[in-house]
Amino acid sequence: MDTYLDALPMFVDKIQEIREIIISNIVLLGQIPAPTFHEKRRAEYLVARLAEFQVDECAIDDYGNPMGVIRGTSPTKPPIFIVAHLDTYSEVKVDQHYEVTDKIISGIGVSDNSAAVGVLVSLPEIFKRLNLQLASDIVLVAPVLCLGRGNLKGIRRLLSHWPSPIQGAICLESIELGRLNYYSYGMIRSEISCSIAVEDHGRRRHEPNTILVINEVINAILGLRLPQKPRTQIVIGRVAGGFNHGKIAYDANIGFEIRSDSYDMVKTLYADIRDIVDGINKAFGVELNLNRISNMNATRLNHNHSLIKCASRILKRLEVKIFSEPSQSILSIFLNRKIPAVTLGLTRGDNFHQDDAMIEIEPMYKGIAQIPALLMAMDKGMCNE
Amino acid sequence: MNKNWIKTNTFHHSAFKDISRLVAEKQRKEVTISLCFPTLNEEKTIAKEIVIMKSELMTRYPLLDEIVVIDSGSTDETRNIARSYDVNVYEANSILPHLQKFKGKGENLWKALHVTHGDIIIYIDADIKNIHHRFAYGLLGPLLFTDRIRFSKAFYDRPISVGDNKWRPTGGGRVTELVTRPLFSLFMPDLTQVLQPLSGEYAGYRSVFESIPFQIGYGVETGMLMDIHEKWGLDVMAQVDLDRRVHRNQDTKALGRMAFVIIKTFLSRIEKQQRITLRQDLFDEMIQYGLLCNQFRPYIRPLEYYERPPMKEIAEYREKFMLT
Repeated sequence: MDTYLDALPMFVDKIQEIREIIISNIVLLGQIPAPTFHEKRRAEYLVARLAEFQVDECAIDDYGNPMGVIRGTSPTKPPIFIVAHLDTYSEVKVDQHYEVTDKIISGIGVSDNSAAVGVLVSLPEIFKRLNLQLASDIVLVAPVLCLGRGNLKGIRRLLSHWPSPIQGAICLESIELGRLNYYSYGMIRSEISCSIAVEDHGRRRHEPNTILVINEVINAILGLRLPQKPRTQIVIGRVAGGFNHGKIAYDANIGFEIRSDSYDMVKTLYADIRDIVDGINKAFGVELNLNRISNMNATRLNHNHSLIKCASRILKRLEVKIFSEPSQSILSIFLNRKIPAVTLGLTRGDNFHQDDAMIEIEPMYKGIAQIPALLMAMDKGMCNE
Repeated sequence: MNKNWIKTNTFHHSAFKDISRLVAEKQRKEVTISLCFPTLNEEKTIAKEIVIMKSELMTRYPLLDEIVVIDSGSTDETRNIARSYDVNVYEANSILPHLQKFKGKGENLWKALHVTHGDIIIYIDADIKNIHHRFAYGLLGPLLFTDRIRFSKAFYDRPISVGDNKWRPTGGGRVTELVTRPLFSLFMPDLTQVLQPLSGEYAGYRSVFESIPFQIGYGVETGMLMDIHEKWGLDVMAQVDLDRRVHRNQDTKALGRMAFVIIKTFLSRIEKQQRITLRQDLFDEMIQYGLLCNQFRPYIRPLEYYERPPMKEIAEYREKFMLT
């Protein structure tokens, strides 16, 4: 019954034995830049790499998602997906040079999500070394267009065109080990931009300053009443604008996210903000625009779903502290389609989203060991409700 | 001048990317292969070099039989980091300890001959930021797929013409273009076909390396080329395009010191080959000037020239490898 738990210590040891392969994959893939909408080179390399590891079917779909299928022994069992988003937050488009020591790997994007992508590519070799033979097909995918304006288009498209039922999914994130996500907020991510047309520069006696206009918008948003239940939050996470200290700003913008347990509440608040924007637009006579970047329905697996129970048992056996938070990622796309899925973190790290982002090597062995253990459980139907 | 060499003996690493074929050829020839990294304070790059080579050419494919690090006395974590990846790490001074001690890359390469076991030895600098296993398999290709080639050397950045009338620079560094190439052009024009004679990555059969002297410092590459050319001719050599190499840059003063040693190595070799006669001894100090408190001050750096004899002349080596 608990074979997958008893195997964990052996998994950790065997994974550590091929650490060089795992680190190489993280480095060789992570060094290829992959900002959202520019993932092609990394996708091609990933597929070539999967082919080198003798994965049965390797391809890039018509949307640019690289994937490989490891055939299981049963021709009828639905597949299990293992997914790690391919794109990175960094806009850098030139090759990077990661640094490796005996303890860490550092470099742009390693913690979100190059380490997870490197691990994804290493899985065929890891399964081989662990003699893991499953009845289900395993589909390894690194979807493109996940972050920001990508709005998870890659995985949305892939799942909407997938021809057969899917048994379940494991989503991989580089950090943080112990992470077990199984629900997501409803969310709308948006930008408000304010600008004064070039032909209007310097023409008005009382020229509006776009930073001050944006400030009015922020104050109005802060004045919105948010309910305690459903839990709701508006995060203003980014602000930019202006040219220099002594010049009136002709451009300014903010980025914000509305999150709530209820997607209806998110939509209501978004409509309120649209009204605010329209009102201020008229009052100041500027170009004030509200643009939706991405959105997501609130969705969850029940906390006592057997997939969550299995994943929790694995983490406990590995003596890793579990923490669960809402996730606005690939996970929610699976859950929205009623496909049981969890997100797992692989290791510890620091300087997330910075140039010197880093991950620790040692905890990664336990982080990776979760994957074959959970796969064994899923393959045996232990995660089906 | 043999002008055909550049056509017949120049390769691109992609010709050898099927590593299983290289392994098959290695097994057919019944040879073993050692990879050596000479180091001095390379804690930022050494782990990545070891990890990628070990992963791709040892764990996944049995192409390399051993990886060794020969260190010149790093004061950073180079040796500890290298050891953590289970490769053999030696301090150069601990190898053949009864011999006079020197510090330099050439010294490390020479001593590597004593501690490695391979029939073929690959030397790769440890400061390469964009390390890839092509740096090793690219150099091995000509050695394994032909019987005549005994030594292969790297060059970078695709220096060959890209159109009928368009030429790109050779990608040689400043010292190559300002020092080595003019000297080769003057005295040994055959060797000008070696596009980057100072590149730090090369591979060859032990029988070649053990038969030539090693200059202990910057002159090791120049001396090696001249000696192999003199002893076996150009045809035993090949050069391999490894695409791009990213490493740290040296300032002009450091390059000046490098040029000093290379010129000295060159002159010493051609004098030994009786191509010229020097009527005076060469000095051992490189004198450079800097401006300090509005005054020009000399910065004098002694650059002792020393050469290790062919390794096969060392008694311990002869005993270890059972040379008669």
